[in-house]
Amino acid sequence: MTVVPAQQSGGGGGSSGLYDVLELVLDRGLVIDAFVRVSLVGIEILKIDVRVVVASVDTYLRFAEACNRLDLEAGPRKDPGLPDLVGEMTESGARGKSKGALSGAAETISDAFKQARDDGGSEREPQSRPRARKAAPSRRKEEQE
Amino acid sequence: MSTYVYGITAATHPSLPEGTGGVGDPPRGVRILKEGDLAAVVSDAPEGLRPKRRELLAHQNVLSEVGAEGCVLPMRFGSVAPDDRAVTGVLAERAEHYAERLGALDGRVEYNVKATHVEEAVLHHVMAQNPEIRALAESNRQAGGGTYETKIQLGEMVAAAVKGKEAEDATALERALEPTADAVSVGPESTGWLANVSFLVKREVADDFLEAVERARGEMPHLEVRVNGPLPPYSFVEPGPAEPAGTAAGGADAGAG
Repeated sequence: MTVVPAQQSGGGGGSSGLYDVLELVLDRGLVIDAFVRVSLVGIEILKIDVRVVVASVDTYLRFAEACNRLDLEAGPRKDPGLPDLVGEMTESGARGKSKGALSGAAETISDAFKQARDDGGSEREPQSRPRARKAAPSRRKEEQE
Repeated sequence: MSTYVYGITAATHPSLPEGTGGVGDPPRGVRILKEGDLAAVVSDAPEGLRPKRRELLAHQNVLSEVGAEGCVLPMRFGSVAPDDRAVTGVLAERAEHYAERLGALDGRVEYNVKATHVEEAVLHHVMAQNPEIRALAESNRQAGGGTYETKIQLGEMVAAAVKGKEAEDATALERALEPTADAVSVGPESTGWLANVSFLVKREVADDFLEAVERARGEMPHLEVRVNGPLPPYSFVEPGPAEPAGTAAGGADAGAG
């Protein structure tokens, strides 16, 4: 159907990764003044939920805890050399348990979506997660946890 | 009966999805309204249409079906005209503008790229690059975690450093991907990704673009990079500042299979 090989098929494959495409469908695209738009009340809430608030006490505390954990895992190294740390980062960092404010955003969206879906009653339920996984191999581990 | 509008395309579009299921439950059948050289992809607008998952999907599915075979100007979700005549009226009134946009976007698709930090990896980075943070983390740890105040202090420093790293990585990612794109559209910052960037890519170089993504993933393993596409050119329907001159070239270069 489509001539372009990619993660998401060009024809009819739109069920995939919808929550990544969500804000494009809702926020971009052509707007014509002569037409009205349906109310997006629920969606406004979703958009606020999605925000990552870096500048909050909760975030600070969480980062502080994370740094403590990080040090413990890395061993008691008072003055870690840069290359050393970077090496560790690529080895263990990328597949570590890294849920939190940063990666948590995606979950917030999917949760919000789930809510919207439940709210909608008997709707077909295309899988969005496996597709997201396919698009981002580095995510795999994280999502299994 | 009001009319739901999915997108605008050329009347000569090779395969308009007439009859495909659109928004609503049961799905309203997609119809085509032609006016001069243009066509609008529409359906009846269901009563009480809301931005539910299945409706968003229906909107996107209809558009990706149209977009697979030719250029379409996608409407933003939820555009409803009073009736069919209002739609053809708009097509007639702004025919030149839409024809120009269809020409500019012909043979091109949108890829949306979103990136987040792998948190632990970025914290390693931040610690490695910032002796002050390292020292404070160390002293907190020796004090059995530190006091509330020193934790806040550490967290604040880390948050600032992470923010700086976000901006740095967003720029690096954009730089890595823009050479294969015709145009770049940076999405709103508030949505929780360190980068949310759409790239307008010629169909025939889509592979090059995806390879660039793979390279970027390899070079920046502390980033989680998600790609969605090919999509209808949601972010490029209106000429913006990111649009380079001379995009009207190209023609039917994709050949549409």
